[in-house]
Amino acid sequence: MTPPAAYPAPGGAGAPAPRRRRRRPNWAALALGAYVVAFLGFIVAPIAAVVMVSFSTASFITFPIPGLTLRWYWRIIEYRPFVDAMIVSIEVALASTLIAAALGVPAALALARARGAASALLSNFLLAPITVPAIVLGLALLYFLASLSLGLSFTALLIAHTVAGIPYVVRTVLAVYRALPPDLEEASAVLGATRWQTFRHTTLPLIRPGIFAGGLFSVLTSLDNLPLSFFFGSASTSTLPVVMLSYMENQFDPSIAAVSTVQMLIAVVALVVTDRLYGIEKLTAA
Amino acid sequence: MSVDVEQAPAALAALPARRPGGPYRLARSTWTVPVLVFLGFFFVIPLGANIWRSLATGDALTQGAFVFYGKLLGDAYYAGILYETFKVGVIATALSLVLGYPVAYFMVRHAGRWNGVIVFLLIAPLLTSIIMRTFGWRVLLARRGPVTMLLHDWGLIARPTNLADDPVAVYVALVHVLVPFMVLSISAVLQQVDVRLEESSRVLGAGPLATFFRITLPLSLDGVATGCILVFVVTNGSFLTMLLLGGGKVTTLSLLIYQQFNVAQDTGFAAAMGNLLLFVALACLALQARFLRRQGIRP
Amino acid sequence: MTSAVPLKLIEVSKSFGSLQALKPLTLGIGGGEMLALLGPSGCGKTTTLRIIAGFEAPDTGQVVIGGVDVTDLPPNRRGLGMVFQNYSLFPHMSVGANVAYGLRMRGVPAAERTARVRRILGLVRLEQYEDRQIHQLSGGQQQRVALARSLVTNPSVLLLDEPLGALDKNLRERMQFELREIQRRLGITSIIVTHDQEEALTMSDRVAVMAEGRIVQVGPPTEVYEHPRTRFVSEFLGTANIFSGIVADRAGPRSWSVALDLDRSPRSLVESDEALAAGHRVLLAVRPERLKLGPPEADGIRARVQDVVFRGSYFAYELAVPGSPGPVFAYAQAREAVPADGIVGVSWGAGGAIVLRDAP
Repeated sequence: MTPPAAYPAPGGAGAPAPRRRRRRPNWAALALGAYVVAFLGFIVAPIAAVVMVSFSTASFITFPIPGLTLRWYWRIIEYRPFVDAMIVSIEVALASTLIAAALGVPAALALARARGAASALLSNFLLAPITVPAIVLGLALLYFLASLSLGLSFTALLIAHTVAGIPYVVRTVLAVYRALPPDLEEASAVLGATRWQTFRHTTLPLIRPGIFAGGLFSVLTSLDNLPLSFFFGSASTSTLPVVMLSYMENQFDPSIAAVSTVQMLIAVVALVVTDRLYGIEKLTAA
Repeated sequence: MSVDVEQAPAALAALPARRPGGPYRLARSTWTVPVLVFLGFFFVIPLGANIWRSLATGDALTQGAFVFYGKLLGDAYYAGILYETFKVGVIATALSLVLGYPVAYFMVRHAGRWNGVIVFLLIAPLLTSIIMRTFGWRVLLARRGPVTMLLHDWGLIARPTNLADDPVAVYVALVHVLVPFMVLSISAVLQQVDVRLEESSRVLGAGPLATFFRITLPLSLDGVATGCILVFVVTNGSFLTMLLLGGGKVTTLSLLIYQQFNVAQDTGFAAAMGNLLLFVALACLALQARFLRRQGIRP
Repeated sequence: MTSAVPLKLIEVSKSFGSLQALKPLTLGIGGGEMLALLGPSGCGKTTTLRIIAGFEAPDTGQVVIGGVDVTDLPPNRRGLGMVFQNYSLFPHMSVGANVAYGLRMRGVPAAERTARVRRILGLVRLEQYEDRQIHQLSGGQQQRVALARSLVTNPSVLLLDEPLGALDKNLRERMQFELREIQRRLGITSIIVTHDQEEALTMSDRVAVMAEGRIVQVGPPTEVYEHPRTRFVSEFLGTANIFSGIVADRAGPRSWSVALDLDRSPRSLVESDEALAAGHRVLLAVRPERLKLGPPEADGIRARVQDVVFRGSYFAYELAVPGSPGPVFAYAQAREAVPADGIVGVSWGAGGAIVLRDAP
């Protein structure tokens, strides 16, 4: 479709194009850009190196790798402690996050809309476990739980990871729920919904992205929380980082690289699944 | 004004007492009880017991409540470790700041559509374990690792050695783990600095460097402070990096707690070390809260 | 569809901290009546509505709906319908699911639910939109979905909280008529909260004007407009010129002559149902459209035209009157306007001025 001749398109072929001034290259910006590229290389390098080494045919660490093999991945499956620890890690991460959500979500709902110093104080208290160094929390909990004869048990591990997970769930649910207009719940109540029905049909669907984002943080942190986990390590309760650490103290072969890569894949899958199911991008839209 | 308003029955003259109750809310305040009980039991009591343990068990019973703390601060060996902890924290923080600030600046002022890519690459390492990243540095800095070979080729080191067992590896790995937090803290604040302020400065005759040091940097100090405190606190709590890198030459308080726990079971002394670490963390956070309040910025 | 249910508020009061948002208030609303709560923000109208809905518990008093004291019932057991200011449609549900929500909560079987949702969407002319998402609708359509959602459960009372506030002017006027029409057809007792006097006058059977936590005046729109009791009511409902003066003597069965402070000459201009005693100070309100402009030599207040604006069907004058603290406004229908700086005589006919109850 061409425009009618009487109305030439503005800035079209008819008008002489203004001569574009040649832009002086901004050397400072270019140098800065080059630096940023190098910086990102620095960030990615060790991770890329581990992934590469995990496929190395050499049984010691060498670069560049002499050839490609999957034998280190087979080694994970053969070496029982890795598999057991991976299962324990996933169990602890999921179970502690579930409990943290069951405890944290109702509290966050109650505190998000409450006013006054007391509720602000309580919100800060629920976020406090983040600020305590994990090694201190782990040490304190071990002594305390040992005095309850729960020392080296799965329960103890679960309790420790739940304490650490609560702040992540509370933080995102507080943020998402505060952004939600309160009159949606009032509308639901006027329409005859009981508290439970309002929670089930209105509040929960709307805060779900927040719960899952917080839950994802909690799971990822739990999977990698060595300082918290190693206090409770025993044959049946060692998480993956604990087993990896003790393996590294004795051997230094690429199977650690393979386990790391698998763990990274688990985290990526968790992220993608959460995103697909519950749309973390909805967090920004809400 | 009684147009057709029905008169209230006289009996209502004796009005009932004030009804309690705030506005309708979905969640009742009792919904906080389970989590408060849980954290009270498994967070407050254990940390409280830890304080008690450091003041009133073992040697503290016989030699005075503060004997463990006295040993930590007074004994030359432990004082050396505290100094080392502080040194590592400061150096890692300073390196993260110097290396991270330009990246944050680039992200906000120049990156444009590449900003998302940079944010992704900064956050992606969070999906990997600290062990993986530390192991990665062991690989890169090994005697025949790529970084070592490169440095040798450039003539920067006389002959290939295992750099992973050199203290410098500790700093490299710490910065690698922590610098993303620094960059994101600074870029969040820089984003709110109006670019027109910088332009005004240039129009008023200031050069790019003067503009940076007189306008941009002061206005981004909140992000710098947040990032520095975060990095410093997290460094204090790390021990894996010092355990796996640096050849055991960098011993900090966290590493000491880990080692003491594995070797000697002096619970009172371990508790005292933990409390010292916790105290430093809380002091830093209080400092940060104060700083943010002074700036009139809500955290 | 609905049997008309009366609503009563008896000595209802509410404080927030030290702020008394609602002073003890008693008000009855007849079955099928549409009452407007009108007032500036902070006057207590929204608090009143929220107490009726059950979102706020009153400090004292009772809310009685259809003879049942519902004061201590939670919102979900009051059987009300409510349209919120921003509609509060559930963003995660389709139009149909939004409308069906109340029926679902009551356990209405799916088949009946579908039929009733269809019927009510037909009433608001949105039959085709059942499967749309909320964000795909225009503001006016969202407003109608909110109305349908509130009506589908056959509520005893319909509460409307600034229901048209978010719409643009033309759409708002159209919706005023539509909403009023539906309310009349269903014969549902309704309360509309608004700060827009025109909306209140257009839509309601009675208007309750509120200020500072109490009702200042209740009555049919024409009465409240034509016979405001206080300066606040006269000025909040449209424009009013306020004059003070002293009652001179009786001029007729219901009329008195008053000497205005402006020029001190007695005029027999004021009507009042209550007897006025000679020598008493009074405050008068005169609507701009009741003022007549004539030649300056006629029996009237001398005024100078400061500004004149053509408003389509009339001319709006801003007049300067010697001795008056502010300008006097007059609306006159005439073919030609008196130009600025022209001198006119201002007067009003019998019934043009209302005696206000405020202390002068």
